[in-house]
Amino acid sequence: MANDAALPVTDDSLREEVRAWLAANWTGPLQSEAERKAWVAKVIEARWAVPRWPTEWMGRGLSDAQARVVEREFAAVGAPGTGQDRTNLWANTLLAGGTQALKEKLIVPLLRGDVGMCLLYSEPGAGSDLAGVRTRADRQGDHFVVNGQKVWTSYAAAADYGMLIARTDWDVPKHRGISFFFLPMEQPGVEVHPLRQITGESQFNEVFFTDAVCPAENLLGELGQGWGVLQTALAYERSAMGEGARGPRSGVSEGPGEPLIALAREAGVLSDPLIRQEIARVIALKKLNALNTARAKADLKQGTASALMSLGKLAMSRILHEEARVRTLILGAGSVLEGPDHPRAEDANFLTLNAYFTSIGGGTDQIQRNIIGERVLGLPKEPEVDRDIPFREVRTS
Amino acid sequence: MVSLPIEERLAFQGSMLRLLAERSTEADVRRVMETDAGYDPDVWKALAEIGAVGLLVDPEYGGAGAGPLELELVMEAVGAALLCSPLLTSGVLAAGLLQALGDAEANARLLPGIADGSRIATAALTGSAGTWTPDGVAVRARADGEAWGLEGQASFVTHGQIADVLLVAAVEADGISVFEVDPTAGGVAVKPLPVFDHTLRLAQISFEAAPARLVGKQHAGWNAVEEALGLARVALAGEQAGGGRRVLEFTVDYAKNRIQFGRSIGSYQAIKHMAADLLVESESATSAARHAAAQLAAGAPDAKSAVELAAFACADAFVKICADAIQMHGGIAFTWNHPAHLYLRRARADAQLFGAPAFHRERYVAELEAAHG
Repeated sequence: MANDAALPVTDDSLREEVRAWLAANWTGPLQSEAERKAWVAKVIEARWAVPRWPTEWMGRGLSDAQARVVEREFAAVGAPGTGQDRTNLWANTLLAGGTQALKEKLIVPLLRGDVGMCLLYSEPGAGSDLAGVRTRADRQGDHFVVNGQKVWTSYAAAADYGMLIARTDWDVPKHRGISFFFLPMEQPGVEVHPLRQITGESQFNEVFFTDAVCPAENLLGELGQGWGVLQTALAYERSAMGEGARGPRSGVSEGPGEPLIALAREAGVLSDPLIRQEIARVIALKKLNALNTARAKADLKQGTASALMSLGKLAMSRILHEEARVRTLILGAGSVLEGPDHPRAEDANFLTLNAYFTSIGGGTDQIQRNIIGERVLGLPKEPEVDRDIPFREVRTS
Repeated sequence: MVSLPIEERLAFQGSMLRLLAERSTEADVRRVMETDAGYDPDVWKALAEIGAVGLLVDPEYGGAGAGPLELELVMEAVGAALLCSPLLTSGVLAAGLLQALGDAEANARLLPGIADGSRIATAALTGSAGTWTPDGVAVRARADGEAWGLEGQASFVTHGQIADVLLVAAVEADGISVFEVDPTAGGVAVKPLPVFDHTLRLAQISFEAAPARLVGKQHAGWNAVEEALGLARVALAGEQAGGGRRVLEFTVDYAKNRIQFGRSIGSYQAIKHMAADLLVESESATSAARHAAAQLAAGAPDAKSAVELAAFACADAFVKICADAIQMHGGIAFTWNHPAHLYLRRARADAQLFGAPAFHRERYVAELEAAHG
């Protein structure tokens, strides 16, 4: 076995061990999905997939700094598969809150990527106010019966399990009556309907529950403590999500350099002083956000928490809306067209609509401003009229 | 460009912050801004003693030999304290111009006095058009044997009324050269301009057959001016970032403590959301100013575009923060006795000095076009 708990691991001995293992096992780039799966299984078996985790769950109980040593060695040879103790949202959430039975059943399959998962959080009546969920889970013997509706669920059709928050107690204030489940998705009580977005695409689904069944062992954390489990899950989700939004979708390149400059040149308006001013504003917003992100990372390295971390998403949604606006300005009347013969208009129009993906999804701009105002600047919260009353008395739309 | 070791940089920043906390309080600013000179000679001496005035000057001439990184940090503190002084004028613009011109004789004669604060120098670089471009220069130079004479007018000359030495950009036959002029000489008339920002001094200077001495090589003047303006723009960006941050701080404090309808006004989203947006502005300005300083210090290929970006981003951010801060305060900030308007005045002046935001945006796009062919 990899290491005895009695022997402390030094960075040097660890580095040597990883190197030796990689030298013996890594044979270069993976050519197929089957090869990738086989490699990941091998990494799990050798306890490199989740080195920060306890030894009983395929880990090594390493410190974060030591786990980074492992990650650096994997990265040096270009081998994937380690660091799942940072990035695997599903497995980390399960490890943190799952029952022994559920962990034994799903931890390794989740690490291997053999289990399809989805998120069952938002509801039509609980978006910004996520703690206002009304999907209910009622205990009946050895299982819970689930009724209600979720929305904005990606990959729901292919999922084996959904991470579900549902109300299990209606007589306590809203944050205290929520429980967290791994709900089996393949059952008659679960119906998935694709949702068509304003862009015309369908990435998301609505999920309807009619007497869906969830085994009691699939409850994570204590009954009624689901809001705390959710916070752990959201933290993993945010750290894994990273930066970035989608760019133009036409796939027809504007050429090298700054896309807006190339677009204006192609449209014959690059010499227009007004357009040049607008282009400068948008490119500057992007550059400033990148500089802020770089400064936030530098602060993190020095161990100081940075106000900058929370600003990125708000800044990004402004960038996306502004870029779409300036693309439209550059195209002028041409922006009213669409279709494959008009890729520039297609891009401008898609970006105009898809900018809302960032300014609404993952917490609206307005919620982000509340978070920045309250958690970063220390401004007081608005009075919450629904905070300390039983959930069944809370007013709804 | 050079940089000091980090410990020296932080120690220097510390002594600067202490000096400003003690000697550039709001009361000091209000007292000094009403004087004719517009600066406090004792504080100026103290600034020279800690090395702030000669920060950029080569040690050979008695300066600290520091670079853009140190300059930017100092100016963040200057902006936050709304310091009234010719630091940017003499220590940055004029010293930077002399060093860019590289005239050994002029440097040896002028830089030691600039570094120790005993001599205040300024640069007259633009006419009443205020463009800070070669075609904005409205002074002409005429050779008279070995000697030179200047004709015309320079405007928006920072601290022109207190300067001991003028460095004047002037057009002669084939280009622009820089000349040293004694402001007390015959043919030189210095007229103070009435300025909206009372913490700043500007002058209009007229030349009529004014005796002048060529500094550096003939016709190489504008390149040196651009180099000095680059430093001045980084300094100004730092001042704007530091000033904006201070205004946001006291505005957020006020929003926490001001109670209306039984709760802090900062609990209302109408105010909270403005504050959150201003934090984006403030942090972006800080990032932009520090990035410009770092790229200039490193002589990076994108140093020019980084300076242009900082110039307009910091200018716009400072103005927006100050303007919104007054609105967020409500009536109290509409009074003369509240400091918010002093910062707005500085922000509006800073946004025009050495080129307006639209000018820098245009140059930014031009730089990016050039970089990508």
